[in-house]
Amino acid sequence: MSLVIKNLHARVKDGAPILNGINLEIPKGEVHAIMGPNGSGKSTLSKVLCGHPDYEVTAGSAEMDGQDLFAMSVDERSRAGLFLAFQYPVEVPGVTNANFMRAALKARLPEGEEVDAVSFYKELRGKMKQLGMDPKFTARAVNEGFSGGEKKRNDILQMMMLNPSYAILDETDSGLDVDALRIVSEGVNAMRAPFRSFLVITHYKRLLDYIRPDVVHVLYQGQIVRTAGFEMVDYIEQHGFDFLKTSEE
Amino acid sequence: MDFPQNMSMEEAFALAEAEARLNAALQESKVRFDKAEMPNRLNEDWRFGRPHVYAREWAARFKDGENCFEYVGFDNSDEHITRLTADDEDLRQTEMLMPTIGSDALLALHLKRFGDGHVLYIEEDTKEPICLGYGTRWAASPSTFIMVAPGVKAEVAITYACLEIGYIFATCNIQVAEGAELKVRVNTWGDGADGRCMLITNIQNMGGKVAHLTEYQGLRWVREETVAEIYAPGSETKLFSANKLGENAVLDQHTKQIHHAGGATSDLLYKNVLDGNATATFAGNIYVAPGAHNTDAYQSNRNLMLSEDATVNSLPGLEILADKVRCSHGSASGPMDEEQLFYLLSRGIPTYEAHQLIADGFLNEAIEKFKG
Ligand SMILES: Nc1ncnc2c1ncn2[C@@H]1O[C@H](COP(=O)(O)OP(=O)(O)OP(=O)(O)O)[C@@H](O)[C@H]1O
Ligand SMILES: [Mg+2]
Repeated sequence: MSLVIKNLHARVKDGAPILNGINLEIPKGEVHAIMGPNGSGKSTLSKVLCGHPDYEVTAGSAEMDGQDLFAMSVDERSRAGLFLAFQYPVEVPGVTNANFMRAALKARLPEGEEVDAVSFYKELRGKMKQLGMDPKFTARAVNEGFSGGEKKRNDILQMMMLNPSYAILDETDSGLDVDALRIVSEGVNAMRAPFRSFLVITHYKRLLDYIRPDVVHVLYQGQIVRTAGFEMVDYIEQHGFDFLKTSEE
Repeated sequence: MDFPQNMSMEEAFALAEAEARLNAALQESKVRFDKAEMPNRLNEDWRFGRPHVYAREWAARFKDGENCFEYVGFDNSDEHITRLTADDEDLRQTEMLMPTIGSDALLALHLKRFGDGHVLYIEEDTKEPICLGYGTRWAASPSTFIMVAPGVKAEVAITYACLEIGYIFATCNIQVAEGAELKVRVNTWGDGADGRCMLITNIQNMGGKVAHLTEYQGLRWVREETVAEIYAPGSETKLFSANKLGENAVLDQHTKQIHHAGGATSDLLYKNVLDGNATATFAGNIYVAPGAHNTDAYQSNRNLMLSEDATVNSLPGLEILADKVRCSHGSASGPMDEEQLFYLLSRGIPTYEAHQLIADGFLNEAIEKFKG
């Protein structure tokens, strides 16, 4: 059981190629990290896996526990267990957080079945408390007027409610204050399980100090150019990405 | 005229006088109808309202519809409500003088049938909204009068139900005294067949706060003429509308925010979600009279287009004849935001439900602002 990406090529629709042959395998239960310079294609990779309409897959495949991701619609991929915590979570005016979460949970129930309101609110409130979120956020429109860090927490809240098998966290640490970073990391760590994997995209060691990844990949110009252990994180923290440019020459 | 037996001379005299007044009033509304022009396409106010189809059918139904008239009125029998009667001369005059935006002739037709509806003199704060309802399967022409006394806070909810092929022609006169606060929520719905509704509203704000919201669902054709007149400094007038328009729906909204007095604010936010080949027209006007200085008046019309076959005509207008006035108007129409949709889909919400959530969320802005 794993998420297997083979020779993935993708481009902006009718535009420039961004992913140039990505190969990546994330077995169930593992935490992988992706690091890489700005613009190397990290967010694009995560959005392509979820089926964002801006991008077009031109070659390659992605399988989640044997299921062909690219044959599924965006919502099907989510219900099958894929989750993306966005680098820039979107504001959805007028739709309350509670209604949004309830719709997402209802979509996972058999046709015609309703989410039990009492246990739903209990669970939602409990998880919000765990993430240090004000209960008032249930009645607020999704991410509307939220601070940067509040948006990130809200995405993590959604992850906790939806219990995905494969969760991608795209720079969840950026915008979080030091306390929030610890709280969110604890939340993620509490969810680590043999039946769940994480792909953590970040620029900073401090997040990976909390969420110790099993494997670290370096993405550069749309390709995975290095795969290593935690020592890679220390190396990048100290030396940056210059080694990629010199090895190119 | 038949006088009941045992009637005193005074009573008989009063009755005869009332009947004479009624006849005079009927004559007056006939004269008004004969003078007025039936809606037609050359009339600027009916340019997008499809008068050749709707207004004429409409007039026919109300002209000879007497026998087929079906009317169901219900209310929560609150002490504030009394039934309107055909011989209430003052209210008939009030209705006669209502400003319309192109529909004088239709209003005159409505006046001929004057006598259905409710009168609300609200002299104490209401704990719960006062609810009124009108419904028909053929033709109904209810009038509602709402008067709020100084300093009183009240909420009113009015429902118009156009069942099957029912037509409703409604008028609503609202007077808000100094320091009063009123919220009026108007809900008009049909069960999808061919319901049509026309609502003429006149708000007179004498220094209070008033918020007015209209919502339409499941109707074929709706025309709304709303004139808010601001007579005193310190008045706050808010007009909202939130509508979901499906296949074949035609919504034709006309508004005027008239600032007779300075130092007052008015704000309008009309939002529509259009699907299928729906058409929405918004023609709004802000008028600031000479001398009505220090006026704040805003107007905004926003449309979410779920279909490429839907049409929006948005015609905002300003006429400012005073100084130190802050006014703005704007309109925007666009498709659903791709990023919002993707966000919902990425959480597993299916496309149809995601569309509904975003559309409801879009309209919610107006509803939440109305709630305040
Ligand atoms: N929809 C798009 N339209 C045009 N260009 C795009 C689009 N999406 C991504 N790109 C381009 O593709 C490249 C990779 O972008 P991406 O957002 O994946 O980078 P990233 O690795 O996540 O960077 P960062 O670390 O700054 O978040 C960038 O040059 C970006 O400008
Ligand atoms: Mg990125």
